[in-house]
Amino acid sequence: MRKRDIVLMAYNNLWRRKARTVLTCLGVLIGTASIIVMLSIGIGFKQTMERDMARWGSLNIIRIHPGMSYDEYGNPSGEEHRLNDDTVSELKNIPGVVAVSPAFQVHGEARLGRKNGWLDIVGVDLDTLEDLEFSVSDGRLPTAEERFTIVAGSQVINNFWDERASRMGGFHQGPPPEQDPSELLNQRISVSIFNQSNPEKRKNYNFMVVGILDEKNMEHAWQVFGSLDDIKRIHEFMVKESSGSGAASSGGMITMSRVVPMEKSVSSKRRSKMEDTRNDYNFILVRTKDVAQTKKVSAELRERGYNAYSMADSLEGIEKISKTIQAVLGGIGSITLFVAFIGITNTMIMSIYERTREIGIMKVIGASFADVKALFLAEASLIGLIGGALGLAFSYLVSAIINEITAEYMQSGMMGAGPPGNISVIPVWLAAFAVVFAILIGLGSGLYPANRAIKLSPIVAIRNE
Amino acid sequence: MKPIIKSENIIKKYRMGSQVVPVLKGIDLNIYPGETLCILGTSGSGKTTFLNLAAGLERPTKGRIIIEGYNLNKISEKNMAAFRRKYIGFVFQLYNLLPALTALENAVLPLIFEGVPSREREKKGRELLKQMGLGNRLRHKPGELSGGQRQRVSIARALINNPRIIFADEPTGNLDSKTTVEILKLLTDTVRENGQTMLLVTHDDKVAGYADRIVHMVDGNIYNGNAN
Repeated sequence: MRKRDIVLMAYNNLWRRKARTVLTCLGVLIGTASIIVMLSIGIGFKQTMERDMARWGSLNIIRIHPGMSYDEYGNPSGEEHRLNDDTVSELKNIPGVVAVSPAFQVHGEARLGRKNGWLDIVGVDLDTLEDLEFSVSDGRLPTAEERFTIVAGSQVINNFWDERASRMGGFHQGPPPEQDPSELLNQRISVSIFNQSNPEKRKNYNFMVVGILDEKNMEHAWQVFGSLDDIKRIHEFMVKESSGSGAASSGGMITMSRVVPMEKSVSSKRRSKMEDTRNDYNFILVRTKDVAQTKKVSAELRERGYNAYSMADSLEGIEKISKTIQAVLGGIGSITLFVAFIGITNTMIMSIYERTREIGIMKVIGASFADVKALFLAEASLIGLIGGALGLAFSYLVSAIINEITAEYMQSGMMGAGPPGNISVIPVWLAAFAVVFAILIGLGSGLYPANRAIKLSPIVAIRNE
Repeated sequence: MKPIIKSENIIKKYRMGSQVVPVLKGIDLNIYPGETLCILGTSGSGKTTFLNLAAGLERPTKGRIIIEGYNLNKISEKNMAAFRRKYIGFVFQLYNLLPALTALENAVLPLIFEGVPSREREKKGRELLKQMGLGNRLRHKPGELSGGQRQRVSIARALINNPRIIFADEPTGNLDSKTTVEILKLLTDTVRENGQTMLLVTHDDKVAGYADRIVHMVDGNIYNGNAN
């Protein structure tokens, strides 16, 4: 028998018993929809949490700060590492790492036109900006060829205030009004940096803002980013031992570092403490391929003794919770689908009783076992397919309604918490999986009735009664 | 001449509770190619049982039936369907059409199981039904046809894949006398034209009159048959 004929015949048979087919399909519809909607809520929960976390730092980026890593009992793990070029090349060689950028961080008082404020400046390897997931909402990213160009976080503008304006306005209550980030674009910001050992010594630097970062990543919102070389020079000036009054306080460190080469027997751990670490990087950013790699690399770095942290490290707990939620919700949904499974089986058995004669006739006329079986399995699968497809459509409707209602609720409940995420999300894989699963449920529930149909004796069917 | 159906000492017993009832008591019967043989007998004489055995729908308690050289005892139940589809066409008293299918679909049903493409089988079915005088009833369901028309569809179904053998079990049992004559003429004429062999089972002398040869069956025994 041809496949097309089997499906056509099965379809016609279902169509003959409209009411029963519709009711059985309804069972599958409800079963499929309940599974999809339940799982979609679990998925939506996870996505919302991930998105919320990503706002506070990329899930693909690991930050390494100077210092040690400690395990949960407070014991140091691995050895302490210095953050220098050796470290950078070590990090670059770790599998799963896409880009590494060392960073210097300086800050100082700043002036923007008539406005006063302060600026937190981070120097990074500008060639890695895109890999490190920097993206602008306005302007462009600075390039390595330029000097003293920066890209500013979306909140940096709020570091500045016009003293005269606030004086003229007299008193003002509460936080200053939000300012438009794009106001900074193509503006010159002048920053004065103090020497740490001698506050008398200061230098002024002028920066040009060439771009404004978008608001995706709040971690960068309050900082500006420029070239590593520029900031390195500023940093050198900042930490340089001055011949002035501050010399005494930090001078000792330098003397000690000079002793190091002679004391070869000293353990590397002790030695690193004695070395002059003032010109080491302030921190290092590591970009990995994806969240899974981030977790792996981040854990490995901690094992090696790095003081490494990533937003992705916190994901595990959330994933555990969302997996539990999905299991519970999916369990509830699958009970409904199991009931539908029984429903299909029941319908098919009923239909065999009704069609005993018909089945017998087909067998006498030359339908093989395989044909009879295929016909019944096709009918059961069709019920699964129809119910599953309608159930999917219904799920999208229910999902949309849930999101509509919760969006309203969340907007009224949590003002300014950013755009609320969808609480129910149906990814393509879930949709495809649900329909395929419904068909398999149909197929499975048809197995027993189909085998019964095969065993029916054709003689009973053709008795002249 | 070599018989196309050869029945050798067929015994069939049924178990009814604690009793064993012999229905066929050793049937030896040869049916030759191209002949229309009628088994004439009263209700309960065992004629339908014999037909069922010859069609491979039931297994004999003892003895064997050989059709076209194939020993039916040796054909598995699984392969029996294919065997029937190839060699045997059926005409029943109650037509046994599928109520959901049209006349055309019913007539070509064996070809559907055979896996013949729809265009090809519909062409064949249409021609055959036209020949049966149902050219304008192709799209009707059995419920919309008269008894005679239904039996014509049923005959078309039996003939559609051109089997060597036709089994007809009381083909006119549910028809009035005028239609009976029409149907029997149609059936025997077509079978003769095609050179097919027919085994006709009936209790009606008039029907038996259309056969080439008549054997009587009484209480599970064959009489008047030139068995060998």
